[in-house]
Amino acid sequence: MDVSSYLSGGRLQRLCLKELRESLRDRRTVMTLILMPILVYPLLSMALQRLLIGATGSSPTTPYVVGVLEPEQGQAIEELIYQATVLVDNEVPWSVPVPQTNESQSESTKERELKEIERIRLVQVDKGTLRDSLEAGLIDIAVVNLDTNDPINRDAARWSLNAEIEFRQGDAHSQDAASLLRRLCQLLNDQQFRRLSQSLGNGLEPVVQLRSKGVGEKPDAFASVASVIPLVLILMTITGAVYPAIDLTAGERERGTMEAMIATPAPRFALLLSKYVAVVTVAILTALANLLATWITLSFGGLGRALFGEGGFSIWTLLQILPILAIFAGFFSSILLALCSFAKSFKEAQAYLIPVMLLALAPGLVTLMPNVEFTSLLAVVPLLNVLLLSRDIMAGGPPIVPTLIAILTTIGYGGAALIVAANLFGAANSSLASQATWGDLFRRPLKRKSSPELGDFALYLAFLFPVLFIVSSMGGYFSGQTALLMGLNAIALVVLFILLPIGWLWFQKVAFRESFGLVVESKPMTNSRDLSVRWVQIGVAVFLLASTLWMFALEGVLFFKSWSLASFVPELEKLKASWMAIPIVWILATQALVPAIAEEFFFRGFAMQAMKSRFRILWAIVASSFLFALFHIISGNVLSLEKFVPTLLLGLALGYVAWSSGSILPGMMIHMIHNSIVLLFSRMDKEQLTPWFGSSEHLPALWLIFGGIAAIAALAILANVARAKALR
Amino acid sequence: MIRANHLYKQFLVRGQPLVAVDDVSFQVASGEVYGLLGPNGAGKTTTLRMVMGLLEPDRGEVRIGNSEVQLDPISHRKMLGLISTNDGVYPWLSVREMLLYFADLYAVELAVAKERMVQLTQQLGIYSILDQRCSTLSTGQKQRVILARGLMHDPPVMLLDEPTRGLDVVGSQTIFRFIELIRSQGKAVLLSTHRLDEAERVCDRFGLLHRGKMQHEGTLSDLQQATGHSHLTDMFIELIQETNG
Repeated sequence: MDVSSYLSGGRLQRLCLKELRESLRDRRTVMTLILMPILVYPLLSMALQRLLIGATGSSPTTPYVVGVLEPEQGQAIEELIYQATVLVDNEVPWSVPVPQTNESQSESTKERELKEIERIRLVQVDKGTLRDSLEAGLIDIAVVNLDTNDPINRDAARWSLNAEIEFRQGDAHSQDAASLLRRLCQLLNDQQFRRLSQSLGNGLEPVVQLRSKGVGEKPDAFASVASVIPLVLILMTITGAVYPAIDLTAGERERGTMEAMIATPAPRFALLLSKYVAVVTVAILTALANLLATWITLSFGGLGRALFGEGGFSIWTLLQILPILAIFAGFFSSILLALCSFAKSFKEAQAYLIPVMLLALAPGLVTLMPNVEFTSLLAVVPLLNVLLLSRDIMAGGPPIVPTLIAILTTIGYGGAALIVAANLFGAANSSLASQATWGDLFRRPLKRKSSPELGDFALYLAFLFPVLFIVSSMGGYFSGQTALLMGLNAIALVVLFILLPIGWLWFQKVAFRESFGLVVESKPMTNSRDLSVRWVQIGVAVFLLASTLWMFALEGVLFFKSWSLASFVPELEKLKASWMAIPIVWILATQALVPAIAEEFFFRGFAMQAMKSRFRILWAIVASSFLFALFHIISGNVLSLEKFVPTLLLGLALGYVAWSSGSILPGMMIHMIHNSIVLLFSRMDKEQLTPWFGSSEHLPALWLIFGGIAAIAALAILANVARAKALR
Repeated sequence: MIRANHLYKQFLVRGQPLVAVDDVSFQVASGEVYGLLGPNGAGKTTTLRMVMGLLEPDRGEVRIGNSEVQLDPISHRKMLGLISTNDGVYPWLSVREMLLYFADLYAVELAVAKERMVQLTQQLGIYSILDQRCSTLSTGQKQRVILARGLMHDPPVMLLDEPTRGLDVVGSQTIFRFIELIRSQGKAVLLSTHRLDEAERVCDRFGLLHRGKMQHEGTLSDLQQATGHSHLTDMFIELIQETNG
């Protein structure tokens, strides 16, 4: 059965539509999709507002409510406020003024204190309910006792007031109110002292005077509260995807529809893809519903302005976060499908998912910590990268390199998980159902495999992806020691691209030496003349390609130079400075020989052969070249985008060589010569290069024409080799 | 139509090899109903899965028509229809949506599928419920929908895995009528069951499986001659006692 008959003629669309119908007609999906956001966000907004008030005092307009028991007490407090206001207005100095802070520098003490005084509101409360009102937050200050000789102040010189107040401990707003009253009392006492001193005529100064000033950055409570929002959005997106993911996989088993489905000729990947599309769609719809609910709550509840300043939470921010959530939905849906594909029931699927959900909370908590920067290293940590990216988008502008790394890795992880899911999906149906477990993925198969399967590669890739980033980021520790770095890089290549894959292929009983063409075919050739003709043809093609491909790689990098990111340039210059001091043999060994062997083994051997087991050869070559190019553009904190297209083309050529020759050895040779030529040129000065290429940074046109003809001739020879192989 | 030659399959169960099917051979012709009989764990389902191409035999081969299943298991599935004990339906889809979904899974052209759906549902008396959601169907209706589903791609071979398990007399009767119908259409039917009385009623030939091995094979009279018993049940009891003893 041709896979393409499932991917064309609207069939795949109909398969996806069936899955979507199933999900969206289910009330439980709709509940998470619509009801949850409607309920969660207003509640969360209220909680956040409360939290903000508790953490930061209050918004500048919230009144300080002072509760008194009798009207006379109210009059006395009003008198206190009135007298203090007059003094503040006349800018009478405090003996111990309020500390100055970064924010308070812009406005004068007078303006600030007058604004503060205006916030005081007096209310009368029954005696029995005074304490309760205070504890319940109905009032911020309770005047429990007050004596005054004259509530309305008929004689300023004799006026006195003796009061006792209570406030809520731990509540910043109530504490601020009490502090304000204390300051007003202090101001009146200061004034009385001054008056007495003047009447005595001796110009006495207050005993103690103290001015204080706050320095440094005040921790931004608003920012850390704002970073809760991405976490909530991500968790809600996950919640939206969970139910359909379980229902469309474990649910199929529980309902007894899985076996009938698996028994059809429909390729499992098409089945899984349709389910994936449905789960991602529901997840994105949930994300959208949640984003809209967040936007409405933040815009109309006033919290948006408190958290994000005057502009509030804009539509633009929303439009930036939606694609990030969509990419995340794509990633997490494939993780969910991979996990649920093995579950035989809803219960079992839930048991798998709960630890994952809890695990998802951990990176969320990291983003709540202040001063966690969105670095390239953190950009490879699944989930955490999306959280940090969303947080930075909300804060105004995420850094470009970590953003690109986060997006690429998230897509990469999602793809790897989807391939694992495709291998797991329906698998238990084709073996002893009750015995199949997750452990089967890591169990040695009974039979030898002639070539690696896609699942073998996907599992290794899932391991390799984060390890590669961590290893390449560690290069930063050795900056300046270029020769050592090259050696370590070569060791990492050998371990990650040859030794560990060999171990894994051995464990999976893959006859990789035969399928990668590392040994001469065990089947005898029709005659030895054929064999030698074939190898002569391959040899000529190798020579032609090895001596010309570098020209196009060089021109390609020049052509895509504008893609280069600023961070790349200093790195390159630093490298070049220490470059000349290193022996050429060391450079060629670590930068040409080892990469050629390791990368050909991994990309044209492991990756391409594994993809060939599932897809047509053309797609296997394209996909393995894409990975090859991706590997070359990312290293540590540097993203060399300009290398993408040239390496992709090199990968395609090497893929074709490996396929047509039936071996990865010719590709290794081409790769090694290609790298060596580029490295040797890079050691030459401009003066040394001028006789060859002239003063232009581009190669002479004639070179490129001859190079092109030679490369085409090489490919034609290889096509002939492939045809002869097919005929045999 | 179906030819199984020397099938052998073993699994790893907690690290230990377990032989599920051991040198099993049989043939089913077009228009014939073949009963694959045996107690639970005899290897019936594993054999069926190898016939379907869902499992690859460690040794031996299955041929459908003239071609070997293992060489292209996916394409062969188009020639097979499966009806199994635990078959369920999609509660949120209508009968029409589910039948057309399965036609799509078997890569049947949409126009052909629609025509076939009308014809099959009329034959099975479920045409009037085509637009009803599957969750609202009665047990009998569900059962007939499942039978229609197995025939949407008009396969020349039908595999029935314990189709009457858990059904009452009326339900079982529907299955028997269905088997008669597909036999009359010239389909090769492989029926796996542990209900020997039923098998006696509908099967033309039998294969008695026990502990993964084919113990006896042939028509009822062949088996009667070989075992000296007139009923399958007695043959089986003796067989089990012999192997246990």
